[in-house]
Amino acid sequence: MNNIVIFKLGAIFITILSFFWLFVFGPFYDDIVIQLAVFIVVMGWNVLRFSLQETISLLKFCLPFVLSLFVFGLIFHFIQLLGRTDWLPDTLIKCLVFPSSLIFLKILLTYITYLDILNLPISMKKRIGLITMKSAFQKGEKIMRRFSWYLNTYSDLRSDNRIKSELKKYACLIIALYLYLYEEIENSNRLLKNRYQHFYEVNE
Amino acid sequence: MEIRKGKYRLDNRNLHFDMADDLNFNKSGGCFYFRGGNGFGKTSFLEKVIIPALKADNLPYLYIGQDIRTQLYTLRALLSIQGFKVSDTDEVELLRLWINQGQSASVLILDEFDKYFPDYGFIFDWSAAFIRTYIIVTHLAVNRRESVDHNYRIYNVRFELINIDGHLKNIRVRSE
Repeated sequence: MNNIVIFKLGAIFITILSFFWLFVFGPFYDDIVIQLAVFIVVMGWNVLRFSLQETISLLKFCLPFVLSLFVFGLIFHFIQLLGRTDWLPDTLIKCLVFPSSLIFLKILLTYITYLDILNLPISMKKRIGLITMKSAFQKGEKIMRRFSWYLNTYSDLRSDNRIKSELKKYACLIIALYLYLYEEIENSNRLLKNRYQHFYEVNE
Repeated sequence: MEIRKGKYRLDNRNLHFDMADDLNFNKSGGCFYFRGGNGFGKTSFLEKVIIPALKADNLPYLYIGQDIRTQLYTLRALLSIQGFKVSDTDEVELLRLWINQGQSASVLILDEFDKYFPDYGFIFDWSAAFIRTYIIVTHLAVNRRESVDHNYRIYNVRFELINIDGHLKNIRVRSE
């Protein structure tokens, strides 16, 4: 069982490394057509593995980062920063690479199950750490949609300036998510450690 | 703002509502108590019918959801970007700060708030100066002691199951 798990996890990590080597740091990074194709494939995969709604909310989450990347790229292009004239195509590639790589990583990591972690030949302390991380991020992903829903009900975040109000909303979303994950990781970790300790002591 | 009587379909939640009466939220000093069994769509009705109608009418409102523990993270984030120091603030104080900030609102919606705060009269003490309409989802049979009761007319809105058609629930909503 251990060998199968190690093989499975190994395959997942090799796939992740290969993706980053090929499309993020390697030979296909500069090719915008390939990057666009990768983006479409990754989004399609996410829709099939999760849902269209989940994919849209993930893209919405990436949007402020992508937009700020684009705006800075545009400014650098027009002022020809460092004498470079390729800021715009480079920025467009980055705008595709960022969500693709993030979502690809997320999809691949979801193939690692709790059972896989339990079967890993590592200490219980490390297993608890990994289980806690997985559980927190899984919950965080689900909670994000609910956070967005609540933030959309707050009139304090609505103003005449749409961009300003959207930026405030995203700031709140990120802070809320951070607070949630921080608390969730702490609570789950404490719970798991207590349970393990209890069973360990009972079995002793 | 008014929710007219008629049919409201929430197909993605397998709920069809048959509104037997108009719900008029424009009346000054109204306190609407929504009651009905679990799964009869009270929260869905709030989130998919009433809140979109309030948004469409540009009527400022405050909504405290049933999953208040989740909502508190967003309130903590909201208040912190507004410059409040909320790192050590407890949940009641967070709610007080937020309600105090939201004085432009004229509608306050509480979804099973009594589940967390059985004696929730403090909410009315904080908000009665500016809130015209309260919408309260509750499972409690009696309207609890609330200072607001003396100044607001009470409307009892009942969610009743007509039938279940496969996964679909047909619900009658009537106001007394």
